[in-house]
Amino acid sequence: MTETLAEPTLVLDRPDSRPTAGSVLRAILRAPFQARTWKELAYLVVAAILGCLVLAYLFVGYGVGLYSSILIIGAPLLAGVLLGGRIWGRVYRAVGAALLSADLPAPPNFAARPGLVGWFRSVFTDRTAWRALAFLVAEAVLGVFVGYVVLTVIAVTVFTAISPVPWAVFHPVNVDPQGREHHSMAQFGDYYIDTWPRVLGLAALGVIGCFLLPWLVRAVCWAHRGLMLVLLTPTAGDRRMVELQESRRVAVEDSAATLRRLERDLHDGTQARLVSIAMTLGRAEERLAAGADPAALIADARASSKDAIAELRELVRGIHPPALELGLEPALETLTARCAIPVELRVHLPQRPSPAIEAIAYFSVAELLTNVVKHSGATAAWVSVAPAGAATMMVSVRDNGHGGVRQPGPMGGESEAGADAPTERLVGGGLAGLAARARSVDGNLTVDSPVGGPTNITVTLPIAGPQ
Amino acid sequence: MSTAEAGRTADALRIVIAEDSAILRDGLAGLLTDRGHEIVAMVGDGIRLSEIVAETRPDVAVVDVRMPPSFTDEGLLAAIELRRKFPATGVLVFSQWVETRYATELLAGGAGGVGYLLKDRVADVREFVDALQRVATGGTALDPEVVSQLFGAARQQDSLARLTPREREVLELMAQGLTNASIATTLTVTERAVEKHIGNIFLKLDLPPSDTHHRRVMAVLRLRG
Repeated sequence: MTETLAEPTLVLDRPDSRPTAGSVLRAILRAPFQARTWKELAYLVVAAILGCLVLAYLFVGYGVGLYSSILIIGAPLLAGVLLGGRIWGRVYRAVGAALLSADLPAPPNFAARPGLVGWFRSVFTDRTAWRALAFLVAEAVLGVFVGYVVLTVIAVTVFTAISPVPWAVFHPVNVDPQGREHHSMAQFGDYYIDTWPRVLGLAALGVIGCFLLPWLVRAVCWAHRGLMLVLLTPTAGDRRMVELQESRRVAVEDSAATLRRLERDLHDGTQARLVSIAMTLGRAEERLAAGADPAALIADARASSKDAIAELRELVRGIHPPALELGLEPALETLTARCAIPVELRVHLPQRPSPAIEAIAYFSVAELLTNVVKHSGATAAWVSVAPAGAATMMVSVRDNGHGGVRQPGPMGGESEAGADAPTERLVGGGLAGLAARARSVDGNLTVDSPVGGPTNITVTLPIAGPQ
Repeated sequence: MSTAEAGRTADALRIVIAEDSAILRDGLAGLLTDRGHEIVAMVGDGIRLSEIVAETRPDVAVVDVRMPPSFTDEGLLAAIELRRKFPATGVLVFSQWVETRYATELLAGGAGGVGYLLKDRVADVREFVDALQRVATGGTALDPEVVSQLFGAARQQDSLARLTPREREVLELMAQGLTNASIATTLTVTERAVEKHIGNIFLKLDLPPSDTHHRRVMAVLRLRG
């Protein structure tokens, strides 16, 4: 797995440090006055109302749908109800994000197969819609029935806490079976709450209850949030799909960008030089025909052709270094030997990686060393290639420079600290580009670079390529 | 004009070069000054080309297609603008590759005083300078590559389909900007025969009788499709 998307996880409220008697007391005393508590309470109210609508929706939709399924309109109706589940899911995700502060990524959009039959097949096999429907059933129970009980408990507790006020104001009068009059708000069997101490005692119980209610609300909301995370967010398969789509996009754009760069290099470099050589030789020929001395022009053309050869060699190395045919180690030996600062190379690989992985490893090291020389101010660098587990290898480039390199963003769009380098908009130049390339084969890139240095950048790659 | 000396004394051209590659710019300048022409200005991008031409009013401008800032077709846009604003200045578009679209856009304003050559052609200095001279004096110089692409694009036209293979050959050479005499030499036929072919071409392409130069240009423009 790669680290492209954070997995939504169920996390109970974990205290930051070990709870002490004081911290627990503080938390309890503070809870009724926290915005979070009131938002969660608001959620319970909203969930109860929405739940009623959901119940009506499910009963009417499915009742009518199933009843009429013997008729031709039944199937479209059921399909509509199913797709409607997605809309409900969107509503609940919005409410959950607003009131429960839940991080709820949206599942993939509905994608219909072509044709009418295809559309129906897509609807009735739409996992997201079915999961949303399952959510609606569970949520209706939790929101309406559990919600009703919880809201009642809340109302009673709060009323108990403030009961001395109506007791004093309205002077309620009850008559017991023996015909005696009591001046009480509540009674438990024969026990009437009809004196000030008793009334205040009951109120005190209510106040204590008020401080405990937030935890009841919290627990119920935890269940709501859990339901949403399980049924309204993308599944692991969905997330993998997004990841693969993203890495495919990166791979395609990366190769297009590479071809564009090659074309530009050839056009501006080698092609231009060859034209100039042709031109110079043409002039030399003319001079010769006119009986003048063409030696200077010929020397010029010779120098130019040497430049063209050198440029072409660099270009070829940039496409695929010939030494990679021999293996990663010899190719890296040449690369590190050509680096402007001393580089210590250590390669230990029990088996040869696939050619694509070797190329990615090579160009990652090349790019990272270029960054080290350009931006880090380092005087030495260390490159190591070693296995990390059975099927992966770790390529790391360390330097003794001043650090401060930032981890590139997950989508490959952000650039590294040295933002002066021109970046390709699509794939992302520099580190972001390397990270994207690593992800395209299910690898990843991690940066460890505290300000002040040293910097250690590690690229992890599957030895046999993406599976 | 068999020697450089002869070229110098004949009609020396005043030339502006727009080319972003320094090697090519200097090479071209050297080559043309060798031949006795005057380089009045050199620019490295398409934006300043128009100003420079307005200032110096050269006989001909040699313009690279791909130049800064966007490295796409600013040279071509600049060339089209020059043709519109300064009809007296010939424009020779000089590129490392040929695009049919570029050729048709370039010829949209007429086929006089315009050229589109591959940079390879500079290897034959005499031919290149001849082409430049033709463009400077209101003629045409299209690369054989350009012409064959235009023919390819215009294949579906009925009028062109009526031409015999030989007539098509003659039209191709006309499009490149060759005179009747040069066409005759190239095809190893008499000049009389070439004239006869050209007469047939005019007839088949339905070109109204007018002065020969104009009709030649019209015939070439039929290729634009």
